Amino acid sequence: MSSSFRKFLITRILLTIPMVLILVSLIFFVMRVLPGDPIRSQLGPRVSEEQADVLRERLGLNDPILVQYGNYLKDIVTFDFGNALTQGERPIKDELGERLPATLELTIPAMLFTSIFGVSLGAFAAKNRKKPIDYIIRLFSIFIYSIPIFFLGLIFQIVFGVQLDWLPLSGRMDSMLLTTFQSTTNFYVLDAIISHNWPALWSAVLHLIMPTLTLGLALTGVFIRLTRANMIEMLRSDFIAAGKARGISEKRLVYHHALRNTFIPILTLIGLQTAILIAGAVLTETTFSWPGIGRYLVERIALRDYTAVQSTIAVFAFFVAIISLVMDLLNAVIDPRIRY
Amino acid sequence: MERETLVSVQDLSVTYQTRIGPVSAVDHVSFEIQKGEILGLVGESGCGKSTLGKALMRLIEPPAEISSGHIIFEGEDIMAYDEEKMRDFRGRRTSMIFQDPMTSLNPMQRVDDHLIEAIQVHEPKTSREKALERSSVLIERLGIGLNRLGSYPHQLSGGMRQRVMTGLGLVLNAQLIIADEATTSLDVIVEAKLADQLREIRDEFGVTLLMITHNIALVAEMADRVAVMYAGHVVEMGDIYTVFEKPMHPYTQGLLGSVPSVELNDRDELFKMPGEPPNLTHPPTGCRFHPRCQYAMPICSQLEPDLTKQPSGTLVHCWLYQDHPDKQKNTLKA
Amino acid sequence: METKREVVSDSVPEWQLELDKVGWLRRLLLARKWYGGDWWFVLISAILLLFIITVGVFPQWFAPFDPREEVGPSLLAPGEEAPGLNVLVLQDSEAQAFADIATKTSTIGYLMGSPATQTIRDTVSTLNEQAEEQGLGNIYQPRSTRFETLEEGLAALNAGEIDGFVGSEEELGDTQIGAGGYKELEILSGSKATSFVLGTNQIGQDILSRIIWGTRIALIVGLVSAVISFVIGVPLGLISGFIGGTFDRILTLFMDSLYTFPGLILAIAIASVLGAGIGNIIVAISVLYIPTYFRIVRGQTLSVKNELYVEAARSLGTKPSEILFRYIFPNVLPSVVIIFSVNVADAILTEAGLSFIGLGLPPDTPDWGIDLARGQDYLRRAWWLITFPGVMVTLVTLSFSMLGESLSEILNPRLAEL
Repeated sequence: MSSSFRKFLITRILLTIPMVLILVSLIFFVMRVLPGDPIRSQLGPRVSEEQADVLRERLGLNDPILVQYGNYLKDIVTFDFGNALTQGERPIKDELGERLPATLELTIPAMLFTSIFGVSLGAFAAKNRKKPIDYIIRLFSIFIYSIPIFFLGLIFQIVFGVQLDWLPLSGRMDSMLLTTFQSTTNFYVLDAIISHNWPALWSAVLHLIMPTLTLGLALTGVFIRLTRANMIEMLRSDFIAAGKARGISEKRLVYHHALRNTFIPILTLIGLQTAILIAGAVLTETTFSWPGIGRYLVERIALRDYTAVQSTIAVFAFFVAIISLVMDLLNAVIDPRIRY
Repeated sequence: MERETLVSVQDLSVTYQTRIGPVSAVDHVSFEIQKGEILGLVGESGCGKSTLGKALMRLIEPPAEISSGHIIFEGEDIMAYDEEKMRDFRGRRTSMIFQDPMTSLNPMQRVDDHLIEAIQVHEPKTSREKALERSSVLIERLGIGLNRLGSYPHQLSGGMRQRVMTGLGLVLNAQLIIADEATTSLDVIVEAKLADQLREIRDEFGVTLLMITHNIALVAEMADRVAVMYAGHVVEMGDIYTVFEKPMHPYTQGLLGSVPSVELNDRDELFKMPGEPPNLTHPPTGCRFHPRCQYAMPICSQLEPDLTKQPSGTLVHCWLYQDHPDKQKNTLKA
Repeated sequence: METKREVVSDSVPEWQLELDKVGWLRRLLLARKWYGGDWWFVLISAILLLFIITVGVFPQWFAPFDPREEVGPSLLAPGEEAPGLNVLVLQDSEAQAFADIATKTSTIGYLMGSPATQTIRDTVSTLNEQAEEQGLGNIYQPRSTRFETLEEGLAALNAGEIDGFVGSEEELGDTQIGAGGYKELEILSGSKATSFVLGTNQIGQDILSRIIWGTRIALIVGLVSAVISFVIGVPLGLISGFIGGTFDRILTLFMDSLYTFPGLILAIAIASVLGAGIGNIIVAISVLYIPTYFRIVRGQTLSVKNELYVEAARSLGTKPSEILFRYIFPNVLPSVVIIFSVNVADAILTEAGLSFIGLGLPPDTPDWGIDLARGQDYLRRAWWLITFPGVMVTLVTLSFSMLGESLSEILNPRLAEL
């Protein structure tokens, strides 16, 4: 590792701090400073003002705003968000900890699917720019992008869940199996493999197919567009022409040389597109009753549990910053111009 | 001295399909490149010299295409080759050095990987080690330290990168090397060094060199023969000494007159050619140079002259040196 | 004989010069040849959008019914005929029409949970209206009796306890009409139309009317929030890029952070605090897209600012405000138009998403997202509840993003060829 690379690493990691700070402060600002009384909306109009005040006092909402802000930041740094206001008042930290694996089990395969499918279609379209196949792929990408992700999920449910009856409609596993299923990591697929519980594994995989496919396909539109645009630029670069003049086959030039160079801008963009992934995950989890963080957020919104909502969104902000950091670091590893 | 012919270009045309119709960037060009020579191809930018260079390797891509002609390389017409044969031809029999060494190397690939890939693409049976050994010898000969093999392009200087490009052109023992403005982006001293090196390589490896450039001084320095292009035509071609001492085509005369000289006692005004290069979507009729030519005759705007051989051995594409029943000799301007 | 040709400057592509010589209609047609598929994409999406906007502006011209009114039986499939209800009386009854057994002294029987309840109520009130017009007053008001099973009902009819029995074809099953000693009066229709093109939802509203009125909501939210983002984002980007310095750096850091944050989540946060309502949704969504405009406009301002002609204007003493609006803004405009188009598409998607998870508009609004969320409960029984609103969201989003995408392919000089 050269010294310039180390310097890059340190700068990049340090840059994450203001980003997270801005995001969590923004959430604080939105949740506390915008008009609207979270406690009132949680308790409803029938509860007396005194009772509401007791709750406000307990949550520290009567403190000066700066003190509240300080406490909020402290909570985030220590990952201790206190207890939820509703439904058993469990510690939010525990709840999120349990649900995070479910979200990851959904998003990781979806990302893999979309990276492979979207990038190869985008590269193929770029290679055949202005030919009919290019227009077809582009039309497909705009179309996929335009379908609301939950609608895509609902269509899958109707076709594969109801009409064909191939796949389960919602949830992570058959309820029959779930009664005896021991989950240690909360990654059901992983747990099933560890405990050699093959029927559970089969059920978990079956339950994963539709949500993953929905999320993966919905993200594909963006990936095709990004890959295509960057690839077109890359295919026009001199080193591709030079490679061709050296007798390197077109296939190798497109899929080896150009694509490898395209990964750099694409990785940066994936970092920026985390937003779409997370929004997609929230909607997919809602559609398939998938017990992840996104579903948790939506449930708590319905219950007007504002502490839970605020903490969940803060966790998302953290998530975004981390992914963006990881993508930049990955980029540095791939790109020799940064590495040396 | 007479040499064997390596490449014979016959009636070659390259046409661009643009939004307002076809443009012939190279228009029915015929000439020969001889084995072991250095041929300079000069002309203003946009005259079609780079397109011609690419056409020799059939690297023309849509919206342009080779619309007519034959390229006979060592007796075989490469226009008849299929894509697979063509791929084998590129790099192994003819190779090209591009203008911008900064962007002509894959930024994600190390120098040795470039060289090994070039070898293995054409000789899949050669092992990595063998390929590396072969390229090491060449790389050292080109004056690049072996410790540079593991470097990425951005870690090298411009001159160094251009030498890597040259190495890539030589590593498969190609007979013809096309240097397309290869030295243009380098500074004067590095340029001179590289030019020297190219000549040494020619002597040592016996390759043939086609130098495409607008740097006439460089051509004068290096080339054995020179071809001058104007608006898609080769207008004059011949032995370097003959052409430079006694340019025949009015365009060549103007071109040579517009080269600045470094000698202080020779501070005459440079020759400025009137007008601008023609728009190739609607090229002038007859001789394409006639609107700018100070010797233009009525016939020049009506009929295109042929490339005719003069007693000095030079080929010229001009009515001044060709007879025609309709040619009116008395209209020559002073 | 022409010897000299007019020399055209190299900086302007020749075809553009030719374009200037022809009228706009010819220009459009000529453009087709050069841009091929993208030209068609623009044309198709423009026509679609024109239609969608007309529908959104004048939903009353297109919608057959009030979107909030219950106009037919619930969960009627598209094109399916609304089932009529048979009225059975005894063979020897004097009753000739339903009106005869709907007087204050009569009793009508039906099965529990039968659509007959609603239909009888509707028919009776129609009869009363007619009577009212003739000055007879409210003369129809039959008593009603509910039965657990068909047999009990028929037994009561036979026994004369009720004057008539009302039930659907399905409920009556294989009851013998003539042979069983019954006769049928007219068929009662409980619906405002015999069938509905796109079916009805769970409470008997016409889906076609709902999606047509939903167009208006979607367009209002999409366009208004895009305009707000535009009006705030573009000037901020221009000024930030033009002034530079600390102001620019802080604003950029802030906007970049906002940009990377998931838009939907932020909208969720804002909407959950502000509460339901179309204005709040518009505010929540417009905040999301300000950074998109800001980033593009700022980037372009920075690059244009250093162009030679701007430098030249500055050295001639042109005022900064004039440089900003005469030189920089026109250069930024094409890409802003593209973003606007994509932004509207995104805003409509986000609005649908917010409504889908139950944030956003009041529950009785004819809104695609709300209809989709409700339809999910009837997934197994009624595919048409979610299909049509979903298709509408897709269609509108598709038109806007197709327009943006192909415009960018045409206008983007980096991608344009020769």
